Amino acid sequence: MLQQRLKKAVTDNPKKVADLIDLVNLPTVLRDFMGQSQSSRLNCFRRVWSYIKENNLQDPVNKNVVNCDQKLKSILLGKSKVDLAELPMLVKLHFPKQPK
Amino acid sequence: MGKIPPAFRRAAAQSPVSALLKANTSAVQEQIPLPISDLQPQKRTSQKKPIRKNGSATTNSTAKTSVPSIVFESPNLSDAKSLFNSLVSSTKNAPSDPSFYNSILQSFSSVSSLQDSIFFLNHMIKKHPPFCPNRFTYHILLTQSCSLPDEQSLSDVHRVLNLMTTSGFPPNQVSTDVAVRTLCGCGREEHAIELVKELSSKNSPPDTYTYNFLVRHLVKNRSISNVNCFIKDMRDFGIKPDLVTYTIMIDNVCNSKNLREAMRLLGVLSEEGYKPDCYVYNTIMKGYCMLNQSGDVLGVYKKMLDEGVEPDRYTYNTLIFGLSKSGRLREAKKFLGVMAEKGYIPDAVTYTSLMNGMCREGDALGALALLDEMEAKGCTANSCTYNTLLLGLCKARLLDKGIELYQVMKKGDIKLETGSYGTFLRALCRKGRVVEAYEVFDYAVESKSLPDVAAYSTLESTLKWLQRAREQGLAV
Repeated sequence: MLQQRLKKAVTDNPKKVADLIDLVNLPTVLRDFMGQSQSSRLNCFRRVWSYIKENNLQDPVNKNVVNCDQKLKSILLGKSKVDLAELPMLVKLHFPKQPK
Repeated sequence: MGKIPPAFRRAAAQSPVSALLKANTSAVQEQIPLPISDLQPQKRTSQKKPIRKNGSATTNSTAKTSVPSIVFESPNLSDAKSLFNSLVSSTKNAPSDPSFYNSILQSFSSVSSLQDSIFFLNHMIKKHPPFCPNRFTYHILLTQSCSLPDEQSLSDVHRVLNLMTTSGFPPNQVSTDVAVRTLCGCGREEHAIELVKELSSKNSPPDTYTYNFLVRHLVKNRSISNVNCFIKDMRDFGIKPDLVTYTIMIDNVCNSKNLREAMRLLGVLSEEGYKPDCYVYNTIMKGYCMLNQSGDVLGVYKKMLDEGVEPDRYTYNTLIFGLSKSGRLREAKKFLGVMAEKGYIPDAVTYTSLMNGMCREGDALGALALLDEMEAKGCTANSCTYNTLLLGLCKARLLDKGIELYQVMKKGDIKLETGSYGTFLRALCRKGRVVEAYEVFDYAVESKSLPDVAAYSTLESTLKWLQRAREQGLAV
């Protein structure tokens, strides 16, 4: 089912793909984190994930949870603990839908 | 097994069918030695060799550098002319082999316009009389005139063809072939059809290779009615489709799931008095698999035997694939024995088909055991085998085994397919092993298994689904 939906999303809805890879002017908080003024949602997510891995921010007991440092807190709604499952959603918050 | 996601079907279908397809096309190519694909490399090598020979043969040091290095970068005609003049005057024993000059013309034509190329050719003939252009020389111009993708008419092509006639090389079947292939290569199928018809009416019809090439190209890129129309028109010139043509067409209509047309073609085939050969039967069998009527493959096989056509390994692979797909695993396994009797060793495709069938029945562990058996027999599993197994294990909720298999795949740098990737992610998330899902995502991107966007959107939607399930208290 998921696969079907995904395939549909990619073939029927180029907009969805565009949402992921189009360069967007980043909000100030993200700009500081990313070190660049424009990025795509996909790249932003990958940067956050690699930041977590590089700095060993995952909880040693439950690897599914990230203990945010100051820098990460600033971009993830100020949460001190973030579940990996909600990470994409939190990153997405910085990329509001373009008004038509 | 109840519902089978289409992704699974596709993942499984890929190996046997694509292998079969490859086998079929290559076999067809074996049957018809394509004249041009043979000619061109020959032409090219024969062009290059004299250059090198001359470079080393001439004692003049300037000639040494100038003879082999005549490659044009600017489309300017007068520059090209003066470059050629200096080349001819500086080289004492200029090569008499026309292919040397052909390579010069070829190089110039790749950057310039047709008009300039013709001027340049005339200049070469005038300036250096030992060079007498041959058929290849004009074919270079012909290729150039055909390779302009946006050209609206055939006037340039006609111009070259007329030039050929006046120069003593009236267009022959090779010219037709060169023109048709180039025209098709840049998307000018209508012009190719027009040209073929025109040349046929002028008593130089295409040979079967050109004809079949055009048909194969048309069925891929144009509607089937278009192709039928072309075939019908060509009959007026006395050119009839042969067995290879029908095989190409049946294969294509089956790929686009047009059963009615396939049946009609089969009828026409026998009306025309052709006796289907092994390739046709293989194609029909593959067609049934594509059309989700895998159960009928056995009927085709029986008919094959009745007609006295000897099945080859692709027949058996397709047969086993079709039977596995329709859940008749026992019969499929029986053919493994028949295959061995006939001296065909089961390969990765055969085993993957069987594993696919076992996974469908829910016997993922049995499929896993088959992997060991196949490797014990010295048959290496391919990426399709692993993906089929991974998907089967995840579907059967044997996640631990799936993770083990994934580790093996990772070690062997085996790419994930879209279907197995998605299923694996979901299986991991279902158990709350989100980190591992992230890790699989990293591997999929790193190994370039699937595009970043596809990998990420699968991860995102899987996590979204997990979140929702958690909210409803359905997941951990």
